[in-house]
Amino acid sequence: MGEVRTAASEGLASCHMCGKVSPVREGHCPRCHSKLHLRKPHSLERTWSFLIAAAAFYFPANLLPMMSVSGLAGNSSDTILSGVINFWKKGDFLVAIIIFSASIMIPILKMIALTWLCLAASGFTSASPKNLARLYHVTEFVGRWSMVDVFVVAVLVCLVQLGVISTVTPGPAILSFASVVVLTMFAAMSFDPRLLWDRHVEEAAESPETT
Amino acid sequence: MKRTLPGLSWPRLSDEPIRVCCHFCDALQEAPRLLEGNAAYCCRCGEMLYQNRPRSLARATAFSSAALIFMVLTHLFPSITVDSGGMRKELTIMEAVDALFREGNALIGVVAVVFTMVAPLVLMGGLLYVAAPLRFGVALPGAVTVTRLFQISEPWSMLEVFLVGILVSLLKLGAVGDVHLGTGLWALVGLVFCTAWAMAGIDRLELWDRLEIALQKEEK
Repeated sequence: MGEVRTAASEGLASCHMCGKVSPVREGHCPRCHSKLHLRKPHSLERTWSFLIAAAAFYFPANLLPMMSVSGLAGNSSDTILSGVINFWKKGDFLVAIIIFSASIMIPILKMIALTWLCLAASGFTSASPKNLARLYHVTEFVGRWSMVDVFVVAVLVCLVQLGVISTVTPGPAILSFASVVVLTMFAAMSFDPRLLWDRHVEEAAESPETT
Repeated sequence: MKRTLPGLSWPRLSDEPIRVCCHFCDALQEAPRLLEGNAAYCCRCGEMLYQNRPRSLARATAFSSAALIFMVLTHLFPSITVDSGGMRKELTIMEAVDALFREGNALIGVVAVVFTMVAPLVLMGGLLYVAAPLRFGVALPGAVTVTRLFQISEPWSMLEVFLVGILVSLLKLGAVGDVHLGTGLWALVGLVFCTAWAMAGIDRLELWDRLEIALQKEEK
């Protein structure tokens, strides 16, 4: 592979909105008037802070009840995990798996993946940038699906309200849960994958004999 | 249908290859014009740089207008109706969001409104507003702002997640009463698919290139 020049080394920035390449000192993209940056500003710091906030919200989201059902059979409140267990016991394995992966697995895997990406971008771990890019794509794609549980609660609250048999009210966990989803989405958006390649190039320059 | 004629590349301000850089690894490279159906990939990391998608403007226009029609239907007709003990409850997106407002708190209500109503509307309305006049080489006033807006709202449009949420809750509702699927649900399915197809119809770079030309024509 020949010598690859990066846009940053030429003082050029590609607009994150429309993709046009223009000199970064112009300040704003001539085509869509977005601000130009060589790299997303404070990418790692922002990603770290969103991640820490999301991790903090992850505990109330899982420990507090997601919704409570009151009716003739008495009151009960479900956390995410107890809801999954109930589905599993009733034999709805598919739903149990969907909710478990969307609400418990995806957020935690996403946080781990972003942590790893951040560490890799600051040079603490090494992996091939192509694999890391793949990881970033998966994180970006999968994150929104965690919202599924919030929407399930919304639908149930709407339909099972004032009914004779039972009433469903949303629990305090729902807000924390939505915060986890939104914060991890912000974290993924503020992470700049180009930092991975910058690090890779830097490392290759430091040890030319291994590459 | 198999195409017999070779497709055309989209017009650009100049016929020279322009420079693009990979948004993933920042490698600077020359971008040639592509025929319809072809795609260009980054020479360093293999990420797709841009793609000339067949009949892009027509597809973006068609699917986004279909999506808007489905959106109206989704809001008009209930997705699920539940009969239990003489009570009848109907579910529309608005009812669900309203339930969150009343029973939960305002913040989660606002989040739900943005994800299920505002973002999809901005996304599809914005795409139609920009893509339809571009077919005639015209950019309506504010087209640049609208394009930026709908690009920002894209990750926040979560109707497909809402649809899965409805399907999951169907299983829980079986215990409550008689559940009927309504027109709204099918409209929502249509809306989800049309949104996906509309966004897959046109490449971001092509949209901006065409917009640039339309804007320059206006200035003359």
